[in-house]
This record gives sequence, C-alpha cells and structure tokens, in this order.
Amino acid sequence: MPRSMERCGALLAVALAMAASSALMMAQAAGPAAWQNDLTPITAANWNYDFAAHLLERAGFGGTPTEIDALAKMTPAQAVARLVRFQGTDISKLPPFDADDIHDPGLEPFPPSRPAVTDMAKEKGEALGIKVKPTGNRRLQPIVDEFFYWLRASALETNRVAYWWANRMVASPRPLQEKMALFWHGHFASNEAKVRDYRKLLGQLELFEKQGTGNFRDLTVAIAQDPGMLEFLDAGVNVKGASNENFAREVMELFTMGVGHYTEKDIREAARAFTGWNYVDLTFVVNKDKHDDGEKIFLGKTGRFDGVDVLDIIMQQPATADYIAGKIYRFFVRQELSPELQKQLGAVLRQSHYEIAPLLETIFLSRDFYSPASVGTQIKSPVELAVSTFRKLGLNGAPGVPDFNQATAALGQQLFSPPTVAGWAGGQSWITPGLLLERANFARDILFPDISFLPPDRYTGGGEVRRVAERIRQGMDISTATKDEAKSGEIAESNKNADRDEDFNTRYGSFRGSQLAIERVKPIPRDTAQIHLAPMVLGADLKTTKQAVDYMIHRFMRVPPDDATRQKLVKFLENELGTTDLSVARTYLEEPLRLVLHLIMSQPEYQLS
Amino acid sequence: MKSNRFSFPKTSRRDLLRAGMYGVSVTAGSKFCMPLFGQAAAAVAAQAGSEGKTLVVLELSGGNDGLNTLVPYGDDAYYKRRPNLGIPKSDVRAIDNHFGFSKGMAGFERLYKDGKLAIVHGCGYENPSFSHFTSMAYWHTAAPNSGEQYGWVGRLADEIAPAAPPNFVVNIGARQSLAVRSRLHVPVVFDDPNKFSQEKFYEEKEVLNSVAADSGAVANPSRRFLLDTARSAKDASALVREAWSKYRSPVDYGIAALDLPKVAALIAAGMPTRLYYTSYRNNAFDTHVFQNDVHKRLLTYASDAVAAFLQDLERIGRADDVVVMIFSEFGRRVPENVNLGTDHGTANLMFAVGKPVKGGQYGKIPSLTELDPGDNLIHTTDFRRVYATMIAGWLEHGDTAQLLNGEFEPFDMFHSQKV
Repeated sequence: MPRSMERCGALLAVALAMAASSALMMAQAAGPAAWQNDLTPITAANWNYDFAAHLLERAGFGGTPTEIDALAKMTPAQAVARLVRFQGTDISKLPPFDADDIHDPGLEPFPPSRPAVTDMAKEKGEALGIKVKPTGNRRLQPIVDEFFYWLRASALETNRVAYWWANRMVASPRPLQEKMALFWHGHFASNEAKVRDYRKLLGQLELFEKQGTGNFRDLTVAIAQDPGMLEFLDAGVNVKGASNENFAREVMELFTMGVGHYTEKDIREAARAFTGWNYVDLTFVVNKDKHDDGEKIFLGKTGRFDGVDVLDIIMQQPATADYIAGKIYRFFVRQELSPELQKQLGAVLRQSHYEIAPLLETIFLSRDFYSPASVGTQIKSPVELAVSTFRKLGLNGAPGVPDFNQATAALGQQLFSPPTVAGWAGGQSWITPGLLLERANFARDILFPDISFLPPDRYTGGGEVRRVAERIRQGMDISTATKDEAKSGEIAESNKNADRDEDFNTRYGSFRGSQLAIERVKPIPRDTAQIHLAPMVLGADLKTTKQAVDYMIHRFMRVPPDDATRQKLVKFLENELGTTDLSVARTYLEEPLRLVLHLIMSQPEYQLS
Repeated sequence: MKSNRFSFPKTSRRDLLRAGMYGVSVTAGSKFCMPLFGQAAAAVAAQAGSEGKTLVVLELSGGNDGLNTLVPYGDDAYYKRRPNLGIPKSDVRAIDNHFGFSKGMAGFERLYKDGKLAIVHGCGYENPSFSHFTSMAYWHTAAPNSGEQYGWVGRLADEIAPAAPPNFVVNIGARQSLAVRSRLHVPVVFDDPNKFSQEKFYEEKEVLNSVAADSGAVANPSRRFLLDTARSAKDASALVREAWSKYRSPVDYGIAALDLPKVAALIAAGMPTRLYYTSYRNNAFDTHVFQNDVHKRLLTYASDAVAAFLQDLERIGRADDVVVMIFSEFGRRVPENVNLGTDHGTANLMFAVGKPVKGGQYGKIPSLTELDPGDNLIHTTDFRRVYATMIAGWLEHGDTAQLLNGEFEPFDMFHSQKV
C-alpha cells in the first residue's frame, strides 16, 4: 500500500481543521515582527504545527503532514534536537552506494589531457596500464580508447552517485545530515568536469555526511587534504620554488575568511606553507622534497608553518567564525543578514570552538528563525525544490523519469557540477523568467511522465559520436568514419578504403570510450513517480472541490497563493470533475487532481520555503 | 605570479546585502510598467544616444583556432609548426601584408575593409586553464583563477541599471549563461521564441495566464520578486513571441544564423534590452580532429551571420546603436596534432564589430616562436581590457575597476569614445 494512503487516515482531523481556517493559519504561520534578529529561544508555548512545518522545511526538505505532526507534538527543543543531533536515528535501511567496478589499475595517476596521454605513451611505450602495439596502424588506439573510457565512465558513475545521494535526501530519517552535506558541497565546491573521478567526489560526500555537523576546523583540514579538492585547486603544481597561489587563495577567500581579511602577501606565504601537498590515488601525501619549510609570516604570526598550521591560524581570526556562521545562516534562514546579528552568530560558533551543531540549534530555536522575515521567504534551490516535491508526494526516492540530474541541471544546479569553486550563488539568482517557467515544466514532467523519454545514460554522446558509431556500423574504415563531411550512406566506394596511417584517432577513441563505458556502468532505473492523489484526498475524508484544493495547497505549499488564484483553482477542478462533490467523481478523480497539483506547483509561491 | 587584482576588498555579496540592495530591485520591478508592444518603440526612441547603446556578446564555444581564423601568412613560423594545417597564402583573404582571413570569411573581410571590424590580438590571462569549463567560467565572470558568483554581463547590468528594469538583459540559449547571472536583474533567457512559454495542458491556460497584476502590497520580499518574475516571464515571453512573429527580414544570414536574427527581431520590436548574449554552441569550435574543412565551414557560417546581422541593423535603422563583441574561451595550440587538428591552447583573437567601431588591429601580435612550455601562445593583452573597452568605451560606464576587480585600460575603439 502506498505510503500516502497509509498516512491519510490519520490526517482526518488535521486536514479538516486546516482546510476550514486558512486565514487563521496564515496568522499562526510566523511570530511577531519584533522577533526579527532576536536569538532568544522560543518557548513550548510558541510551538505549533506551522512552526514545525517551517523547521522541517529548512532543517530538512519538508515532509508529509504526519512527519510534521510528529515534530509539532514535541517541544521545540526536542524537535530541533531530533533534527540536529541525529546520530541516534537509525539509517540502516538506507542502502550503501552500489559502485560499479570501473576503475582499472594503471589509471592512476590520470593524465591531464589526451595529448599528455599520447605523449607519455610515445615516450614510455605504454600509458594507463596499456602497452603501445609493436606494429600495425593506430598503435596507440587502445590507450586513447581507455582515456576516453575513463572520462565517460567516471562521469556516468558520478551521475549514479548523484542519484544515490538524491535518494538519500528523499528517504533519510536524518534529513539535516543530507542538507548539511548539500551545504558543504556548495561551500567546499569542486566539480566532476575537473576532478574526473567519481571516487573522489563520493569521498567528499561521505566526509560531508560524516562530519557536516561536527567541528568546522577539523572539516576544513580534512577537505584541504581531500584528493578531490587537491585536484580541483591544482595543489599538485604548488611546489617549493614555484608556488601556485590558487589553493591558498580559495581557502582564504571562499572557504574560511572571505575577502578583505588578508593581504596578497598572506596568500603568497600561505601558498608556501601548502607546497608539497598532493595525493596518490585516494590518499593525501606531503612530498617533503617539494615542501617549503622555511619561515613564513602569515596574518601577523611568524614560524615554519605547514598547511595545517596555516589553517589553525585562520581559525583564530574572528573573521572566520563570522564568515562561516553568516554563510550557514543565509543557507538555512534568509539572505539579508545584519552585521550585528552576524557577529552574534560568529560568537556562538567561536564559543563552541567551531562545533557546528550548537550554532544550528541556536538558529533553529531562535525567535529570528520564526519571525515573518524568515518564514516563507527563501527561494528553494533546484535540488531543494525537487527533493521537497518528492517528499511531499510521499515518494521513497527520486524517480528515474525525468532524469534527476538533467532536470536539476536545467534549473541551474547539478550535484557535483557547481559552476565554479565559489559554488552556487543562490537566493534570487535561482530565478529568471525562463527558469520560473522551467520549474513549472519540471512539475509537469513528474506528474505526467514523458512517454518519449530517452535515458541520458543510454543515449550518450553528442551527434558527432553517434555519427561515428553509425558509420562504423556500416563498415567504414576509421578515417572515413571520423571525417566530418562524410554523410552516412553517401561515401563513394573509393573513399571507403581511405584508412589513414596514423598513431591514433581521437574521434574514434571518443566513440569507443563511450561504448566501453556503457558496458561497465549500470543504467539508472527508470521508474516513474508513484503518485496517488485520489486516495490521498479521499482518504483524508474530503468532500468538496474547495476542500480538496485547500488541502493540497496546505500540504504542498509553504506560502499560499492569493484568494483570487485559490478560487480559480477550485473553479478549475469543478470544471474538470463536472461536479463539486468528490465522491461523485471518485472513479476519475486522479487526473484532474494531478492537473490541479501541476497548477499549484506552477505558482510563483511554490518556489518558496 | 603577478596578479592584476587590487588589494581593496571587492564587493562581496555580503557587502551588497548589507547595503540593502535586495529591496531596490523588487520595488523597481513592481513599479515598472511593461510597455505594450506599440509603446515600446517610442520608449526606445526616447532613449536614443548613449542610453540606447547596445552590446551583443557572441561566444564561440569550444576554443576557436585564432591562427587559422586570421592567418599570419607572412610568418614562416606558422607554416613550420603547421605543415598540414597551415593555410596557404593563396587561400586567404589578405587584409594586409601579414594577415588574411580564412577563405570563407567574405563577410569579415568586407567589414574590415569598411572599417567596422576591430581585431584585438593575443587576448588571454595569466595561468591559463585548458579546460573548456573552467576557462569559459573565467571569461564569463571576468575573474580568472578566482571564484566569482555573478557574470560580468550581469554585474555590468547591475552597475549601469541598478533599478533593474525588466528585459534589460537577454540571453539566447538553452540555459542561462553564467555570464549574465546578475544579482539585481532578471535576464530574459530563451532559446526558441516560439517555445518560450510554459508547457501546459490546454485546459490550464486560463489559470496559468492570470498572474497577480500588482504585487506592490505583498510584504514578503521573496514572494514579491517571484510574482514580478512571473509577470516578466509572461510579458517577456509574450513580447518575444510577438516580436518574432512580426519580424520579416530579406537579409540572408546563411546556414547557421547563430540566433542573431532573434536579436535583430527584438531590436526591431523596440525591446528595451541593452545587453544581449548569445553563442555558437556545443563546443562547436573544439577542432581536435581533421580541422581544416570543418573549421573553415564554422568560420564561414559565423562570418556570414555577423555580416548579415550588421546589414539587418542598417535596415532596421539601429546600426549606430549596436556593437558585437566576439570571443572564445581559448585559442588553440600552435603546432598541429597528429589527427590533423589542434589541441586546446591559450591566447586568442577578440573582435568588435559594428558601425560605431574604429576598425583596425589592436594589441600586440603574440610571438609564434617565443611560446610557453606547452607550445602555446603567450598572451599580450588581458581579455579584461577588451571588456573594459566595451564597458567604458562603448557603453560609457567609466568605472570598470570595481566591476572587473582591477585596472584594465580600455582601447580607443569607438568613434564616439571620449578618451
């Protein structure tokens, strides 16, 4: 029996009461305006269903009325502790990541480019664990194929990791653990296009899940020594005598202090301290011969600092606690943060010696968090939008149709692909006119799956690779098949024997690599969302079209639309059903309800958390 | 490694939030009455002069091979490094004793000879990235080897129009480019004008077409912003569809119009847009293999499209108002590779095209013999100088230091420019 139906019976009283008093609901949804910027904890007397819903939406990804109700029955302190101190909550039912066996020995260290691979092959007689053929045409082709194979396979596998994570976000009984991981992923940002190794990205995700609400200093040291981050920020080329400032700069500017709290000289000195930091496969190493262990002057301190020393000095700066506390606040509460409030939050973080959990508890229990400025005023990121939609629909995971990664990428946020090391801008930048329309189209794709859906992990490569595949199948030689102007079926016979003498063919390698990749990477399951709106509505004992619309607005939206829109929705449902009486329409209720839900999810207010 | 950055703190999102900028865009958005189609033209006519000046940015994605675009036929080193790919002197359209355009670029040759094409040599940045993704992000944000959340075009819009009127920035593409990501503005992003609308069932039309008329009374600032955006989506999509359906041009844009007719259609319809962004997509110029034929075609298409666009602007009567800036995220390696193609490189040409442009060559020609250890060109002009040229020289917004996080001296590239 679908989860949604099981829950519906218990919702009767709640649903009817809520549906009958929507105006009263709005008044209860937030505390008084004076609560803004006040970190005083709220009391049990303040607590209600709407506050619990707000907490679950922000500290997690929202939930069903049953889940909100459970939190509403606790005291605020208990509810917040349930979410923040999640270590006691059992997650053994969540499956581990089912990795494909795609990493061949010899792929480490992976060269930076195809020319680098072929240069190495020519020089050494082998590369990527594969030997150059002694004789014949295209003696390097197997090596080139393997190069493209890894690029494709790792990218596909990373998409599987993203799906696994999305499923966790939907199903985990510890939603804050996943939400904090999402925050850290956007903060300590690295992306697949440069890292090119799903194992490193999975490792980062595991680090963020494990230490996301722990100690910020420890987390920063861990991510600074993380192979994925070291790769992403070119730590390997930062060596004694030729320091690359990229890593040091990003650590200070984006990860810890923010601009304005250090000089260019500090960056250069910090870069010296980080020299020699590198990784071998998935292990952090310090190459002592490449490390500059001379004396450095950094942020006013002098010593023969190494990278960890530099990070500890950074943690001593007041700016660091303020910067991080502010960023966490903006992610969970709202974009506008007064300098005074930021200082208070920084002090909380400092006082707890950079433990994140106490800061989160302070925020989630504060009057400011429940003030009108904070309630219903945040714009959901694409991932938040998708996951909260799935949760509220009562799904067990992310559907395979539409493709989660494609859908969220189209909305501007793909897991493991932040546009730059600065992560995602967030806030209002999630929304453009086109993107607003796109969000509504996303809702439509969930509620009315596309019968022409092509799974991107089985329809790989651009037009060029597919053209090559087609021509190879027709029996063309590689040279002709990889030429641009050749059109399938139009090659003269004489040209079909035009195979060039060459060391390798890059375009063919790209095709062959894609082919090898799909042999070894499991496809993502393509189930559609199992949605049952009719049982949901009938099970809540709703009788009229107005009650159904009110119920759905209340269940799915954090901020309702205006009355004119509400009335239009009711009228719409009435037209579709041909009656205002739900029981009369019970045998054909599902599709009209889905249309109503699509309309609800198309409202601008649906984007609000 | 020298950095061009100032040591003063660049405006961070935190600082701007402190300045309470969010309120500005929202109230302005709700008060701005979107002019009806017929009135828009009048509104724009009133804006003629420096206010009507428009910039179109055309991105050639994939890393265009500058050396085979503007061929240095006068330099022996070019043929030495490219025994197979080098384009013979007889095959180029010479513009002087040293350089000539690829054979298919009749449009660019004519524009150059008419004095409407400016070529900037050797544009790039220090510590260049060879990654499409990374290097393009640097060009989009004008923040090489750094992290910047907003695009340079978006930041430019924020500075020259902080009241954020709707439809100020138009980005034609499947997705919003990082280049136009803005803090205050809502760029209009669409691909196919006919499809710039919400996918909906027929029955839903009435409900979906009714958006709140006035959101001024709404207290929740995020909600107000969303309602304004929804209205803008509805208005902009209607305007775009209408502009497109009314647009009729006899000008032949050739085989790959690069979305420039869409830009022309909006200009012709009097859209108040000042910043357009479009691209030759899908890394089309990433010519690793069998380069010559495909590259020649790509250049022909691009040249035809840009030349046609300028003709169309003349026909519309807006040729004095519009400049096109063309760039790519890197050039390509000097020597050819074994697959008769070229690999990712560094410095590249940039172009500025239009009647307001002082045609000619700018910047220092990079050496084909003094290369970096990877056999790549060493850039001679930071690309942000060309951005500064567009911002200060064309759009007459003098203060580029804050915007571009450094001092970049503009070239004297426009007839109207006050140096």
